[in-house]
Amino acid sequence: MKVSVKWLKTLVDVPADLREFSQRLDLTGTAVEGVEVIGAALEGIVVGQILTRDPHPDADTLWITTVDVGEHNLDADGKPTSLQIVCGAQNFVAGDKVPVALVGAILPDGTPIKKAKLRGIESRGMNCSARELGLGADHAGLLILNTNAPVGVPIAEHLDLSDSIIDLEITPNRPDCMSMLGVAREVATIYDTSYSIGRTVPDPPVGEPVDSLVRVTIDDAALCPRYTARVIRGVKVGPSPDWLVERVTAAGARSINNVVDVTNYIMFELGQPLHAFDLATLTKDAEGRAHIVVRACAEAERFTTLDKVERTLDADVTAIVDGNAAGGAGTTIALAGVMGGLDSEVTEQTCDILLESATFSSAHTSRTSRKLHLFSEASARYERGVDAATCDAFSARAAALMAEVAGGVVCEGVVDGYPELIILPKLNFRTERFRDFVGAAIPEDEIRAILTRLGCTVDLPQVTPPSFRPDLSREIDLYEEVLRVWGMDRVASTLPGGRERIGEATREQQRSALISRTLRGCGLNETMTYSLVSPSDSVLVAMPFEEHQQAVELINPMNSEQSVMRRSILPGLLRSVAYNQSRGVENIHLFETGAVYFAAEGRKLPKERQMLAGVLAGSWNEAGWNTASTPLDFFDGKGVVENLLRELNIPKQRFKALDSNAAPWLQPGRAAEVFSGSKLLGWLGEVHPRVCAALEAVAPVVAFELDLKALLGSAEQARPYRDVPLYPAVTLDVALVVNEQVSAERLVQVITSAGGSLLAAVQVFDVYRDAERIGADRKSVALTLSYRAPDRTLTSDEIEKLHQKVLNKLVGATGGELRS
Amino acid sequence: MSLVTDIEEQQSAVLARIALSGSTAELEELRIAVLGKKGSLTGLLRGMGQVPPEERALVGRLVNELRDVVEAALGLRHEELASAELEARISAEALDVTLPARARPLGTQHLISRLTEEIVEVFRGIGYRVVSGTEIETDYYNFTALNSPPDHPSRGLQDTFYVVDRSGAVAAITGESDVVLRSQTSGVQVHTMEDSELPIYILAPGRVYRRDVADPTHLPQFTQIEGLVVDRGITFGDLKGTLEYFCQQVFGSERKTRFRPHFFPFTEPSAEVDVSCGICGGVGCRSCGGTGWLEILGCGMVDPNVYGFVGINPELYSGFAFGLGVERIACLKYNVPDLRMLLEGDMRFLRQF
Repeated sequence: MKVSVKWLKTLVDVPADLREFSQRLDLTGTAVEGVEVIGAALEGIVVGQILTRDPHPDADTLWITTVDVGEHNLDADGKPTSLQIVCGAQNFVAGDKVPVALVGAILPDGTPIKKAKLRGIESRGMNCSARELGLGADHAGLLILNTNAPVGVPIAEHLDLSDSIIDLEITPNRPDCMSMLGVAREVATIYDTSYSIGRTVPDPPVGEPVDSLVRVTIDDAALCPRYTARVIRGVKVGPSPDWLVERVTAAGARSINNVVDVTNYIMFELGQPLHAFDLATLTKDAEGRAHIVVRACAEAERFTTLDKVERTLDADVTAIVDGNAAGGAGTTIALAGVMGGLDSEVTEQTCDILLESATFSSAHTSRTSRKLHLFSEASARYERGVDAATCDAFSARAAALMAEVAGGVVCEGVVDGYPELIILPKLNFRTERFRDFVGAAIPEDEIRAILTRLGCTVDLPQVTPPSFRPDLSREIDLYEEVLRVWGMDRVASTLPGGRERIGEATREQQRSALISRTLRGCGLNETMTYSLVSPSDSVLVAMPFEEHQQAVELINPMNSEQSVMRRSILPGLLRSVAYNQSRGVENIHLFETGAVYFAAEGRKLPKERQMLAGVLAGSWNEAGWNTASTPLDFFDGKGVVENLLRELNIPKQRFKALDSNAAPWLQPGRAAEVFSGSKLLGWLGEVHPRVCAALEAVAPVVAFELDLKALLGSAEQARPYRDVPLYPAVTLDVALVVNEQVSAERLVQVITSAGGSLLAAVQVFDVYRDAERIGADRKSVALTLSYRAPDRTLTSDEIEKLHQKVLNKLVGATGGELRS
Repeated sequence: MSLVTDIEEQQSAVLARIALSGSTAELEELRIAVLGKKGSLTGLLRGMGQVPPEERALVGRLVNELRDVVEAALGLRHEELASAELEARISAEALDVTLPARARPLGTQHLISRLTEEIVEVFRGIGYRVVSGTEIETDYYNFTALNSPPDHPSRGLQDTFYVVDRSGAVAAITGESDVVLRSQTSGVQVHTMEDSELPIYILAPGRVYRRDVADPTHLPQFTQIEGLVVDRGITFGDLKGTLEYFCQQVFGSERKTRFRPHFFPFTEPSAEVDVSCGICGGVGCRSCGGTGWLEILGCGMVDPNVYGFVGINPELYSGFAFGLGVERIACLKYNVPDLRMLLEGDMRFLRQF
């Protein structure tokens, strides 16, 4: 809501320091979104006095004037001297005082004033009309100022044109602040001072009774609690007086004509939206009366609004209807609270005005303006709610003002459709409870004074809020009002002292934090990507156990690129890989924890699963003077996952080769499922080059995605103690040539099982392939076996026997052959 | 007395060679040549059998003396040489310590999760539990039970993401679905009040969604932290004290806070909280728009209507709620110029924090 400080000052005392004023408004709940100073545009335009007026020798309509501008023009000795200005206006005589734009000034329309020659005569400045100063439309001649206007004074100062426009954010619960009157009342409340309604309007001449000209029918009081109609006859539509132009302009509207400007002015002044119909355009009944009907629109009804757009309506829209038209069936002439119609618009020829002052359902108005994308000053007020109690009084003021500025007579009385009188609620205000609630001992007389200033009728504990505050419907609403006016800043700060609470992190929360720490310890950087992805991304990856689940689709996406919810974090991370690679960053180590989403037929709320995913691309490091740069592969990812499982204390880890059908987004042969025992935790692998290409990432990219709940659920709490070895271990190496199909896991299994309790450790230290020397599809795997007894040093006999048994089993179980 | 002369000659010869040996390795060779199994001195001792008995005592004594002298000289020389060699090695091994190290750099925590953790820890310290909710929520929990009017613009398709409802139910609100991507974490409040014993002291961080085009100051998804307290005798002063404590912990003890009355459907009274600008100290500058204050969160006393939805008696209990945007605080604290950077995964950005 734009508030002219100049206008506001006519209603209430406003502090001179606007910064202080703004802060006070901020701290009492009316946020100031900006302050704009106007009048600055008239810089360089001053009061001047025309000393001489001589005809131009070469032009019939031009005059050569000499103009006194005081100190603004000095001669060589520094003494004030007059300016020569060539002027085309005719409405002045020597001695007149006029606005003079000096050389260097810029007119409000952007025209710069320069030294010029007009038909050979030098002109140093410009004598101005009202329109040239942006003050109304009068272009008939120079703006002749009062004879006592002080020469040399800036015109903005002399005409009191400078103003500050404060832009207030009015919260949805404050319909009363959508007017100058309301803001003045609010200012008076917070500064504990008085306010007035402002400009007086003379009583208008009175005409015939209005009910002989209009009748009003309200179909449904829920749509329209009150509709008043007045008639002003014999108006002359024309330009508005300057003061009216200035005020509607300051409020952010455009001056249209005197009749429309009055309706806007009253809306800005009092908060009551008005609509002026051309009475002549409405159909009369046998008694010569127009019939206004307020009712719901017909479905698919078409109607052309003032802005010349034909719109399709529905039964949720409330219409103002010319009830006599169309053979008594009625035709829509306006959309209630939103916009008038083209056919009943006030024009230059309009003579008789039907003035509507009404309240409409805020919900319907709000839906209608949203549906039709029609937002107006009127709809903004109806959306919040307009006070039914004052419809009539405000309309009377509007009618009188219309008669003042446009002439005519105001018909006697009002046609007032007010089916159900609105009853003000009587509320309880328990002072003691209020103090306990706020935590401040606010004295009762201060409470009473504040409530009274707010317009309430106070008889504690009973409080009746004023009609313009429909938001005050409960005791708590009154608490809020008293607190904000008394001052939130005055309430002492305390901390709750409850006994039954412990600030604890659950085990899951602790472990989630551990996961993040571990991955960071492994060198991965935490990131965040969009949950909203494109449908094509969402089909790239699906956890094996989620394959039958659908993606969650948005009804109203912003764009197709973000129209479904992700089913895997991987596509987002791959996009980040591509983002980095395209910017020359090649070593990429990222992880993200977050939800993935699955819909299923018959289920309202989709399933959300918390996942942990990571990607690795490039190398761990750039090559350095003392380090090589090794390209990352599957085993780097596996190492990260193993570290994580170890840190979470997850037992029985297993990596099982993952079939390419089950995980088509991974490169066949470089993909694994991660298990704890038989529980699937997730997958790990190198992303399929085709998937990388689809997301513009450069392969190889190692990735993993683990189910957070499964991880946390598998994590064991206790870590049992085992004796630190006292006796030395004996290590023996084995090299075994086996078929490619025999996995390292299998070899270790056989060795572990054959070695029994005396086998302390087994480790693969080399894998070697050579088709010529060991055969195609075969590999040589070298392992180190450590034997140790917890209670003694093993003898060489014992070890030899055991080792031989292990070797025999190994050969027998794998079909391999030992290399020597 | 040729043997005695021999011994004496050998002694001086050996000592001279010890003194001349240039390295511990050379010295060791010498030691072996003299004292080893086949060493010259060892040979002398072995030859004792041939010494006439009457001379044995004298020769034996001399040979033993010779060995002692040689061993002592060897030891001394070894020490000298070893020490010199160590010095030489150390000086040869000197490094340019300013050369880069050999380490895999630790990973970094995302700014948003770092800040979330920081904020969560502040509230854990004053007795709050952390709870979470789902990101896809019914209209009821996201709006209705939070006292949002049925026609509120925020519920419209323009502002809130709706998802396809596959239950087959006819949705009341939008005509298509009453399932939304939560636009605020406040729904967690309602679930908590429904499900938990009183008193309640909770914090609910999480991802929320609004229909905004991603630009430097907006994201369609961002992170909110919701706080809720419901207990006997909770006052507006408690709300102020709690949030002032929070602001000082997160922004620094020199920062001031102010409460501006505002309007939210689920709290009454409601306020917006500003923290004094860290750049100008509250005088007013470009980064705070000249006001000296930066808006950081919204809060208020829980509206009795909300209690009505969850069956808590507002005559017995009172409480407060607050919600803050982590991205906004990240921007204020770290001067991040473009919110989209938080979702790009640019290593050069992530590794700054």
